Amino acid sequence: MERYWQIEKVNLKYNIPLHVLVSVLLLLVSPLLMGVANLKAQDTAKVLEMYVALIGIVLLPPVFLPEQDREIRDLVYTKYVNGAVVYLVRILGNGLLLVLLLGAYVGMLAHNGCEFPVGKFFLGTLAEMLFMGGLGLFFYGLCDHLVIGYMAPIVYYITAVGSADKFLKMFYPFSMARDSYGEKIWLFAAAVALLGAGVWRRCRK
Amino acid sequence: MLGQLFVKECKLTVKSLIYWVIVLILIFDFSTQLGDMEIERKPKPGQEDYGSRMSRDPELIMKNTLGGLVEEYNRESYITYPIGFMKTVTLDKEDDERIGEILEESTGIATREEAEKVIKAWYTSQREILDQEGKTVESMAMGPMEALQAEPLGNLTYERFGELMDEADKILGGGSDYGKEERENSAREPMTYEEALEEYEVLTEKDRLTGGYARLFSDYMVIFLGILPVFLAVTRGLRDRRAMMQELIYTRESSSFAIMVSRYLSMVVMLTVPVLALSLIPLSKCMSYAQTAGIRTDLLAFVKYTAGWQLPTIMAVTAVGMFLTELTDTAVAVLVQGAWWFVSIFASQGSIGGGNYGWNLVPRHNTEWNWQGFHDGFSQLLANRIFYAAGALILVVLTILVYEQKRKGRFQIRGKILANRKSQSEV
Repeated sequence: MERYWQIEKVNLKYNIPLHVLVSVLLLLVSPLLMGVANLKAQDTAKVLEMYVALIGIVLLPPVFLPEQDREIRDLVYTKYVNGAVVYLVRILGNGLLLVLLLGAYVGMLAHNGCEFPVGKFFLGTLAEMLFMGGLGLFFYGLCDHLVIGYMAPIVYYITAVGSADKFLKMFYPFSMARDSYGEKIWLFAAAVALLGAGVWRRCRK
Repeated sequence: MLGQLFVKECKLTVKSLIYWVIVLILIFDFSTQLGDMEIERKPKPGQEDYGSRMSRDPELIMKNTLGGLVEEYNRESYITYPIGFMKTVTLDKEDDERIGEILEESTGIATREEAEKVIKAWYTSQREILDQEGKTVESMAMGPMEALQAEPLGNLTYERFGELMDEADKILGGGSDYGKEERENSAREPMTYEEALEEYEVLTEKDRLTGGYARLFSDYMVIFLGILPVFLAVTRGLRDRRAMMQELIYTRESSSFAIMVSRYLSMVVMLTVPVLALSLIPLSKCMSYAQTAGIRTDLLAFVKYTAGWQLPTIMAVTAVGMFLTELTDTAVAVLVQGAWWFVSIFASQGSIGGGNYGWNLVPRHNTEWNWQGFHDGFSQLLANRIFYAAGALILVVLTILVYEQKRKGRFQIRGKILANRKSQSEV
């Protein structure tokens, strides 16, 4: 356990602070851009799904970044602790940060008089965050390129904004705003698969 | 030297995976949005419906806008869309009183009680109309009743109405239904055969058919071009470092100007090429219809719109990517451009019909119609496009300066941090 905590401590200290800062800034400026008080469930879902979930793209794809250099990666893979374990610890750590940030934001919305099912919307948004982040992580692992890691979820997001569920079907990310929740289960299942596949692919390179 | 480097950079771009992913996304964008595009046919007499169009009737605009104000004033809560997301505004006492005064001056409604009576009377009359037509509120899938209209006072001029609504919009923080753009787009009316025919003639004669479709094409493509070029620029910027060639290139004879300008030009050109290639599809559809309908088209319309409408966006986004990547040696430009794209897209939601282009990076005109709107907003659009093209060139100059400094061993932000970490770990 101590070993895993050491991995996460290094992650928190050196790898992720900038990304956390960007995520916090994104959430802090949201009241300037949109309403975050006295919203009905549908409008609350819109804020969570279309804006807050974006921090999943900021926080999850950079998990592979510290070993971007091939030589560093080779060195890390020779260590006693398996490379996959290092990645999984980071994913769990960053996932926990997502939970904390989302929890704080959802709490703020509820405190501001927004009427919505708190637990349901929290989990639904988290599933979307993990899916978009997982999509980025998978493509980063597949192509060994952070830019593609950002590109994949952003293109997915634009497709959802532009074409609604015409192509995305059960992977449509803004379903709660339409009072539909089944898509979130699919997103969560796909997120787990993508995160796993991304780490597996990365470790085989 | 510049020419040789340009060709070399183009070859590098062609070999880049990101470039082909971008091309595929553009093809996807085109085929999903415009793949089944049909050219509008000439309207015929006796059709059941000729569509609707925006009304410029001041009376109707005033009634619709004031109806909304009466409802929101009564509710003591106002809906605004500062960047496309809904924001609920609740006013303090002073601002609330001023809105009350504005409402009184424009409609004569002095209190909330009076406002409530007007609302009740309107909906009662609407229900009676539905009853007469044998319909129920529940049977109407969309918009069961007409939105509330409020009668303006007889002595209220359209100019004064505009001033009062501008003030209301300002009090609400902008993005409300009372802003100039929103209130002028609030009224729609059904078209007659003559009006539909007139609109068709504008499309085929003034716009020569191709103009309208080139604008529609530009509208769909520019949405993706507001973000995609940054991926190519960032990838290219990081490529030298990934290949550990950065220092080697620094020592070459080529000037920083030649290296950066050739790199920039190659990306802009290589991103414009697929857009031009895709434009051949709607152009051929226009040509095919024009031949049978006897319309004289403008063969170069799509080239002109690609150069004038889409190129400045490609230039600006590429320049942002290049500058921030050169400055930081990170992919931070993706996040910055992503944020800018997000705000641009949602801010343009209220003006997708065209004519109100403002300073948006992604000017919208989501229709082949509305030549008049395009014509009226042309100077605004021109200023917008020149602004972004000029801004892009300034960023390229700044990128050259940063690159030059790095060649001299300065601005090595990343290297310093790494060196610092390394020394710490050694300690």
